[in-house]
Amino acid sequence: MTDLDAGLHFRHGLIVLTNNRLLHFEAEGTSQPSFVAWKLADLQEFKLEEMGATIALHLMGNGTLLGQWRVTSGCLRQAEAFLARFREQCRTPSGEATDAENGDNEKEDDEEEIFAAEIDDDAIPPGKPLLRLLSFARPWYRLLFLGLVLTMASTGAQMIAPWLTMSLVDDVLIPLQSQTELVQVRKVYVFITELALAALLTWALNWGKTFVVARIAEHVTSRMRRETFEHLQKLSLTYFNRKRTGDLISRIGSDTEHLSLFISVNFIDFFCDVLQFIFTAVILFSINPLLAVAALGPVPIVAWLVQRVREHLRGGFAAASRAGSQLTSVLADTIPGVRVVKAFAQEQREIERFRVADKHIFDTNDRVNKTWSFFTPMIKLLTDLGLLIVWAVGAWSVAHDSITVGVLTGFVLYISSFYERMDSMSRFTASMQRAAASAHRVFDVLDVKPDVPVQRNAIKVGRLRGEIEFRDVKFRYGSREIIRGISLKIAPGEMVGFVGPSGAGKTTLVNLACRFFEVSEGAVLVDGFNLSDVDVMDYRRNLGLVLQEPYLFYGTIAENIAYGKPDATRAEIVAAARAARAHDFIMRLADAYDSLVGERGQQLSGGERQRISIARALLLEVNHA
Amino acid sequence: MSTPQPLNIEFAKDDQGRLALVDTNGIRHANVHPAKLFPLTEKDHWVSIQSEGAREILCIEDPQSLPEPSRTLLLEALARRDFVPIILVIHRIVRLANGHEWHVTTDRGDTRFEVETDESIQPLGHGRLVVMDRGNTRYLIPNVAKLDRISKRKLEHYY
Repeated sequence: MTDLDAGLHFRHGLIVLTNNRLLHFEAEGTSQPSFVAWKLADLQEFKLEEMGATIALHLMGNGTLLGQWRVTSGCLRQAEAFLARFREQCRTPSGEATDAENGDNEKEDDEEEIFAAEIDDDAIPPGKPLLRLLSFARPWYRLLFLGLVLTMASTGAQMIAPWLTMSLVDDVLIPLQSQTELVQVRKVYVFITELALAALLTWALNWGKTFVVARIAEHVTSRMRRETFEHLQKLSLTYFNRKRTGDLISRIGSDTEHLSLFISVNFIDFFCDVLQFIFTAVILFSINPLLAVAALGPVPIVAWLVQRVREHLRGGFAAASRAGSQLTSVLADTIPGVRVVKAFAQEQREIERFRVADKHIFDTNDRVNKTWSFFTPMIKLLTDLGLLIVWAVGAWSVAHDSITVGVLTGFVLYISSFYERMDSMSRFTASMQRAAASAHRVFDVLDVKPDVPVQRNAIKVGRLRGEIEFRDVKFRYGSREIIRGISLKIAPGEMVGFVGPSGAGKTTLVNLACRFFEVSEGAVLVDGFNLSDVDVMDYRRNLGLVLQEPYLFYGTIAENIAYGKPDATRAEIVAAARAARAHDFIMRLADAYDSLVGERGQQLSGGERQRISIARALLLEVNHA
Repeated sequence: MSTPQPLNIEFAKDDQGRLALVDTNGIRHANVHPAKLFPLTEKDHWVSIQSEGAREILCIEDPQSLPEPSRTLLLEALARRDFVPIILVIHRIVRLANGHEWHVTTDRGDTRFEVETDESIQPLGHGRLVVMDRGNTRYLIPNVAKLDRISKRKLEHYY
């Protein structure tokens, strides 16, 4: 269960405790697995010391240091459990149990997990997140089906026009020009009308399709946004401490927007293109197989090219998306902190920071564009070449009387509209990569498990008296031990102040009492209930909290005071404000309790904000009294 | 903990037309002025009576419950101080170089006013909207949904 060697390189090791011996194995990698053993009787103490990100285990015996091992903080819990076991074992007289070396082997190694977490997340398989996207569309399967039908119909309708043109040329135009036979001019009108009807049909179907598909896309992304935000609200403070605000904002804001665009525009276009491809191929082959082969010849080349470019673009778009959220992060950092920036005259440095982030976006996009700009004209060139082949083979066939001019016209029309789509089809890979990257970033948030787990059969505490007890509480933040075994009882109505230097854990105690964090060891009891068995939401209804940095939401003062109890009456709001001594200054504002505060709007002093947040906490008390 | 309604109070007008208050204990406060606690969201209730030095003497939840003549005196005093026109119809909103100009019909007649930025239009919840002009006068739209169709269309560009 050790995972570092003396030089702090990753290497698996194993410390084994048996009934009368302690062994240490150093595992693979070295030429032969080495192992050292001590008799338990010779050992005095096994100490655990935190050294930054790693933990040192010291084995003491006969007053000297016998062994020293290092583990990463991932192994910390294991190490502690081992330590407890060791002390227990040492207390029992070692003479009794002789060679029954059973059961006590500590062999669970989570090293695998540690290494698994390191796997590069650059390679996002596009299929998986996108397939998962589909599961979000399930409630609207009827709409989806309608969209599908409309898409097929509208693509089919587009096929009518070239077909009609073929007959128009052969049955009307050519005879008309050569004047060999008598032509009914009325036939022209019939064809023109039919063409107009075909165009009208295509228009109507396209309209319906676009609307239906856009609606589905909106439904799906709105559901994603909602779910991601709901999920985010459930996550613990620890998660928010780790994440950058700007990054989270851009995931819910712009990444879902990308996805909406992908579904409503890119994906449906691609679907139409594939349909058109199939339809065209069928029609062309049914008319003239030889010409069809010539016309569709360049398709594999283009497909290959698309495949090549896909590789290039894959990483590029993920990088671009990351660069974008980095920029948002800089903004979310600098704009709210503008006072600090100005106070320290660091505008230039922030400008520089922004410039770097912006340059990064430019570079990543530039890299993508380089591939891109080559790719698009390349497709065009191949398309033109393809058309040339059709013309050449067509002209030859017409000369040999195997096809008519009308058929050739039809072919050219079909194939040029087809190649036109080829261009957008190739664009699809790029947008798919982009969408996959976005989907991945959104699902990344959705997949985080709340680390204050939702308890099943949690106790609903209702209204508490407010007796708080900390029983041997230990709390660790990462590898940093913040609270080392505190026991404390606070009676209901008792007022307690915590005094201590910065980082002593005053705020942590409050956070633990609010159950923002989970205790590492020991328990927090409120009215005798262990907090970890209690329904969190229900429990927190008992709490009022005033932070060092009072946070006011965008809204009126009345709304802010009533934040914890949205249905509070105006009498309650005013009473809470009076109790917090906020009433008088509120009345001095132009709109009194209707004044807007928060991000923009009425500016309040720090003390005034503090009073409003005190009123907010007091309102709950007023409510229960 | 809510403020009990002080019923046995009396308002009077002094020689200079200023409002005076005789409170529950019979103490007379000269030159008091009323101020609304919720001027935008609940303008007919919750009036604070402030002394000359802008200290609150007492708070009246429902002015209508006061006996006459006190009630009329208080309502008059409120009407003199309070000016929040309610926008009934929006005729047009013209984009200016900085800000925009509104032409509206309010409950106090037709008017036009200039608004500095889009941020001067602020929602107060429940479809309520307050518009602040350059002179910090507030104009209220009690319910956006209840405006006529054309007014709503005009508003859409700015809010």
